[in-house]
Amino acid sequence: MTGRAFFAIVGARLRGDRRTLIYACASAAVVGFVQPRGLAGPVFFCSLLGIVIALVQNPGRYPHLDLCEQSAPLYGRELARAKALVPCIVATLATVAYCVAAEVAGLRDLAATFTIALAAVIPSTLTALSATIRTGTSQILYVVMACGVSAIAFALVVAAGSVPAELGFAALVSFFALRQYGEALARYDPV
Amino acid sequence: MREACFAASGAPVGPVTLDVRPGERVARVYADAREATIAAMLAAGIVKAGSGSVLIDQYDPRVQSAHCKRIAAFVPHAALPLPDEAEFERYIAYRAALWDVDPMRAVARAKLLMERLEGVHEAFAYPLAGALVSGPKLLVLDRPQAAYARQIIAAIRPLAVFSTHLNAAAAQAFSAVAAAAAPA
Repeated sequence: MTGRAFFAIVGARLRGDRRTLIYACASAAVVGFVQPRGLAGPVFFCSLLGIVIALVQNPGRYPHLDLCEQSAPLYGRELARAKALVPCIVATLATVAYCVAAEVAGLRDLAATFTIALAAVIPSTLTALSATIRTGTSQILYVVMACGVSAIAFALVVAAGSVPAELGFAALVSFFALRQYGEALARYDPV
Repeated sequence: MREACFAASGAPVGPVTLDVRPGERVARVYADAREATIAAMLAAGIVKAGSGSVLIDQYDPRVQSAHCKRIAAFVPHAALPLPDEAEFERYIAYRAALWDVDPMRAVARAKLLMERLEGVHEAFAYPLAGALVSGPKLLVLDRPQAAYARQIIAAIRPLAVFSTHLNAAAAQAFSAVAAAAAPA
């Protein structure tokens, strides 16, 4: 896959999702302003936003984009990387909006809060992506797993008190979630 | 395609046996829209046959899908309404990026094709212009509008074409125009 194809997919899907991006950032900013202290707010609210944004990426939302991508000479894992970047960008910007609003309302440690929140948001978003190309029980299972990922990330920071452990967990889960999404997308029949 | 069957989701489709030679036009009638779309997608290498064989210019879509998708271009049944010229250019540039084609040339070629498709509703002409951006050898049309058969065949003349239809009259429209347009 060329860089042009990668950025064309990301650009086209982000353009389609610009309203979702605005709503996500606005809601994150409001909650960040109301709840500026503590880690539970940014971790769980931004993870929830990431999961919802991932779930709305289901096939059929942009049928012409889906069909173009499926009929293009791309492999499933390449397509997965490009498609996965879109909800990750939206979720990251929502996390930025949350942290900036919280900073305005009195948050002390912006960089640490952003890092900890993002390390929960990205893996949960990527895990939820696999739910978009599944139905029934397996779809619900992926959503539950995505919620579980953010809960574990939060527990690693708060209960175990280890940010490096959370970052390591996030990297591992993100890698396997993206790989799983790519394999599922390669086998997916758009009928 | 030889005895190609699709059974991944819903009612099974097939067996489909089909042979399209370079420059040839083949129109087939199917019982319903789903069957027609699946047959077209099998021919374009977008969905994979569960049994039987599909070869697109010697490539098997099950193992060489990227090669197949460079050879065959798929035009969906659904219209693509684009609000303005800028959006059309963006759509063509997007497709050019996916197929790694020079965007300026792709836009120029698509505009030329749109002129040749005069009389075809723009919403139906856009997907056709987009599909031809990659310079395919085989064009697969899923339930194209029979009313535009003459313009479509004239615009894509040297290509091999496989089209699916829901009634014999529509298939006949494409076959008759294709036969009339075929070089002697």
